[in-house]
Formats: sequence, C-alpha cells, structure tokens
Amino acid sequence: MGVLIRGEDVCRYFGGLAAVNHVSFEVNRGEIFGLIGPNGAGKTTLFRCITGVYQATSGRILFNEKDITRLMPHRICVMGVTNTHQVVKPFMDMTVLDNVRVGAFFGRGWVSKEVKDATKEAMRVLEFTGLAPRAGSLARNLTLPDRKRLEVARALATRPELLLLDEVVAGLNPTETDMMIALIRRLRESGITIIMVEHVMRAVLGVSDRVMVLSFGEKIAEGTPKEVYTDPEVIEAYLGKSYAAPQDQGNSAINR
Amino acid sequence: MQVKQALRSWKPWVGLAFLVFLLWVPASEIAGGYLQTLCFLTFLYVTLSTAWNILGGYAGQTSFGHATFYGLGAYTTTILVLRGVPPLMTMPLAGIIAALYALMWGYPCLRLRGQYFAIATIGVGEATRLLMLNLDDLIKDSELLKGFLQEGVLTGGATGLMLPTPEDIKSYAVGFYYGAMGLMFAALLISWWVKNSKFGLGLFAINMDIDAAETIGVNTVYYKNLALMLSAFMVGICGSVYAQYMFYIDPQTVFGFPMSIAMVLMPTIGGIGTLAGPVLGAVVYIVVQDRILTANLEWGAFKLSLSSLHLLLYGGLLVLIILFEPKGITGLQRRLARWWKKAGTRVTEKRTA
Repeated sequence: MGVLIRGEDVCRYFGGLAAVNHVSFEVNRGEIFGLIGPNGAGKTTLFRCITGVYQATSGRILFNEKDITRLMPHRICVMGVTNTHQVVKPFMDMTVLDNVRVGAFFGRGWVSKEVKDATKEAMRVLEFTGLAPRAGSLARNLTLPDRKRLEVARALATRPELLLLDEVVAGLNPTETDMMIALIRRLRESGITIIMVEHVMRAVLGVSDRVMVLSFGEKIAEGTPKEVYTDPEVIEAYLGKSYAAPQDQGNSAINR
Repeated sequence: MQVKQALRSWKPWVGLAFLVFLLWVPASEIAGGYLQTLCFLTFLYVTLSTAWNILGGYAGQTSFGHATFYGLGAYTTTILVLRGVPPLMTMPLAGIIAALYALMWGYPCLRLRGQYFAIATIGVGEATRLLMLNLDDLIKDSELLKGFLQEGVLTGGATGLMLPTPEDIKSYAVGFYYGAMGLMFAALLISWWVKNSKFGLGLFAINMDIDAAETIGVNTVYYKNLALMLSAFMVGICGSVYAQYMFYIDPQTVFGFPMSIAMVLMPTIGGIGTLAGPVLGAVVYIVVQDRILTANLEWGAFKLSLSSLHLLLYGGLLVLIILFEPKGITGLQRRLARWWKKAGTRVTEKRTA
C-alpha cells in the first residue's frame, strides 16, 4: 500500500474563476478513487493538472513522492500517469492496432526500437481490453463504445501505474456500461491504481474504494461510497433529494 | 520463396526497366540533353517533395516556408565555393545550416497549430527572402560583420551570385545527373524508414491528434522540430545541388514564394502522407510545368500563351484535388482499384449465376 499520488492545496484559476480551489487528496496504491460532482465542479480541470495539460496555479502534486506539478504531459506519462479523454480522441486515420502501438512505443519504460516488439505489446493490450477483433479497422470506423474502449487500451499500453479515467462510461447503454465496469475491475486486479471521474452513480459508487466530491472547485466530501452518498451536503449539492433515502435502502441507490 | 513470388509479378520488372532507362538517359543523345535536364530536375523535385512530406505529410505541419531552406542551401554552397571551399564539401554544410535555421524558426513557430503555423511560415519565408535581398547593404557598415564581404559582396542582393562554369560542362552535368538520382533514392529510403519507424509513428500520432499524442508519452515539441530539421536538411542539400548545376542563383528564384508553393503542391497532387505520393506529384508537376511553359493555344486570331497562366492552372488543380480527392493521385488510384475489383466481382457473379 502506501500513497501513490498526493495533491497538496492544488489551485487552478482561469482569470478570476477558481476552477479548482485548494483541493488536497491522497490516493493509495491499488485503489479505485472516484471523483464526482456537478458539471463545472472542476473534476476534469483537476485531471488536467495531474497529467500536466494544465499547470496548477498553486499547490503541489506529488507522484511517488516526486513533484510532477510543472512537468510536461509526455514526461508525466513516461513516469507512469496516463489519462483517457472525456471526449474521445482516437487517432482517426490510424488502425486500432497503430493507435495502441503509439502508447506501447512511447509509454513508461519502453526500450526496444523494434516495431514488432511494440506490435506484440499492443496486441497483448488489445486482447486484454477485448478489442483484438477490431485491430485492423480504422479508428474512425469504430462505434462509440469501441472508441471508449480504445481510449482505455491506448492509455493502458503506456503501462501506467496510475490511470485517470475521465467519464469512460458516459454515453454507454447499460450492457456496455457493465462491460466497461468489468474492464475497470480487471485493471485494478492487474495492479493499476485508478482515479475515475464519472456521472453514472452506478459505475462510480459500485467500483470505487473511496470517493471525493467536488463542487464549485472545492472539496465538499471524501470517504467510502456509502459515507458520501448519505452525506447531506453531497445530496444537496449533487445527488439530489431522491438519493436521500433511508439508510437501510442505501444499496438500492447505488444500483439504480 | 517470397522473392520468387515477387518476380512472377510484373511490377519489379517494370521498375527495373524504368531504372535501366534512367541510367541510360545521359548516354543517349536524344533531344540534345533536353531529356537529361528534365530528368535531373525531376530527381531534384522528387527529393524536395519527399522532404516536405516528412513534415507536411507525416507530421501534418503544413509549411509554406520551405524555400528558406532551399535558398539557404544554395547560398551556403555558392558563398563557400566562391571563397575556395571544394563544392562537394559544401553540400553537407548546406544541409546542416538549413537544419539549424529550421530549428531557429521552427522552435517558436511550431508552438502554433494548424493554419496558424502555416501562416507563420509564410511570414518567415518572405522575411528570409527580404533579408537575403538586403543583407549586403545591412552589414556593409558594421565593423563586426564587414569581414564576411568579398569585394563588397556576400549575397549579391537582387543581382544574385554567379559560379564559374567548369570546362567540361557535359561530363559535369552527367555527374550531377547521377548524383541527383542517388540523392532521390536516398531521400526515398529516409522517407520509407521514417514511415516504418517509431519516429514516424510519433509523427502520425501528432498529425492525428496532438493533445492525445502528448498525453500518451510523445514528446511532441521534440518530434515536430526533429521532423522539420530532417526535412530542412534534405531541402538544403537540394538547394546546394541546384546552385552547383545552374551556376547562378538569386533570391527571387531560390527564396521566392513560388518555390515554397511548389513544395506544397507536389505532395498534394500526388498524395500527402504517403511514400509514393510525393514522387508522382513531383513527376506530374515537372512534366506539366515543362509542357505549359512552352505551350501556345491558337484558334485563328485567338492566341494565348499558357506560360503566363501556369499558376492559375495549379491553383485550379489544387482546388479540385482538395474538393474531390484530398489524397491526390494515390487516393485516386486506390479508388480506381476498388472500383475495378468491384466491377470484376460483379462480372464473375453474373457468370456463376
């Protein structure tokens, strides 16, 4: 166990707007950490601060006790932090295999310059994510669920220690959602720590070990899923009154 | 086995026959060396087109400023040769100086994206041309830089620079014919290698989605600059060869905007981002240019010299390509091949039925 990533008083301002305001968090190795909150709460902004796409205005982010606050995204990726994008960004005119191969080639700890080694690694990841049958298709010909899956596969190919999943379930139907949740569980079993942003409560409360709730850039709650969805402040700010069910029916709230 | 199978197809034989033909051109006297010059220019332009394609096609960064490298290569060689450096030694230097210049303006400009980068390169191209045009005047009063002038001349301003012509010009030209041919094959080899390497995969990723590429570990700044420098190096050497072959350069020709446009046009005609596209595009460009510049239309009293219209024609061609076949000739060829296959299966289906 032990802490894998720690945020200390992370702030990110856009002009006068505090998108992320003094947020501190700790994620342990091997954990699935959920990040929820209403639209505009700063979830994606916090993600981007972690991956280096945005620089935190103030505060520090430590990964494996190393300060990554001011590093470029590709450096952070090579250290072992990769994210998927909320709006999927596949390399449209490349095959699925090539998409994943980029991740394998440029990710953490890759030394071989041989294309065939990267291909082998990419195929392994495609098998794992269940995309292998589509390996030869162009990314632009994939359906949305497959594109989401490709997004995960490509990130996975970089061999991350920490994977940031930004709404990988959004837009999927219930069956596809179940498949994606199963994939996330298997990722954790393979030893990857996961932080996920999600609006689909069934997904995030069902798999997370701990959950953090953001609202208007500030942390309003943190704890186990059960602690969080019974927290009156969270219900007020995000979940809505329908979640304010009596304690003993709490599980039905997760499963809706 | 594979080799045997390959030899059964007609393709390698046509290629071989074509290669033999190209090797034989200088030995023949057809058209009084006209064909040789045309082929030489084609080799040179294939190299330019292939070089541009590494940055513009693979990495997707459209540069309208590649004439700067061509001109810099040409001027480096000419200036050094006039100061007694052996011509062949100046060629790698021309490439290196072009690559360093590429890094100098590439590093700031490549931070821009898409069309903004393209616009910036137009500015760089024009600024460089104007600088070379006025360089002598600019430095003639400077104590520090005056030393670079030779009899008051460094770049020669608008009048340009002349190189002395060798005595045996015929064998000199033949030497350059084979040299340019080797250069072309080297360029194609580099292009092929880039396409099938980690480097190329990174460039394609940048081309498709630069943000996604960055977050999965591609050092986009480094790769884009490396692609630009490699491209510039190759173009710089072409400029050097051009200067040595023509014995005369001036800023308008080698730094001019039409030169930059030519390097964008050729891969676009042939098929951006492919290996064969820039080759096909360059051949079409050279042949069409050659035909057009000498062609006249006549219908009775109506006379039209096409030489004044060739830019109009290229403009029209570019519009047509972008509208109907953005992948150029290679795209067209693929489309025809698919159509052909379909037509074929339809015929066999009818027969079996």
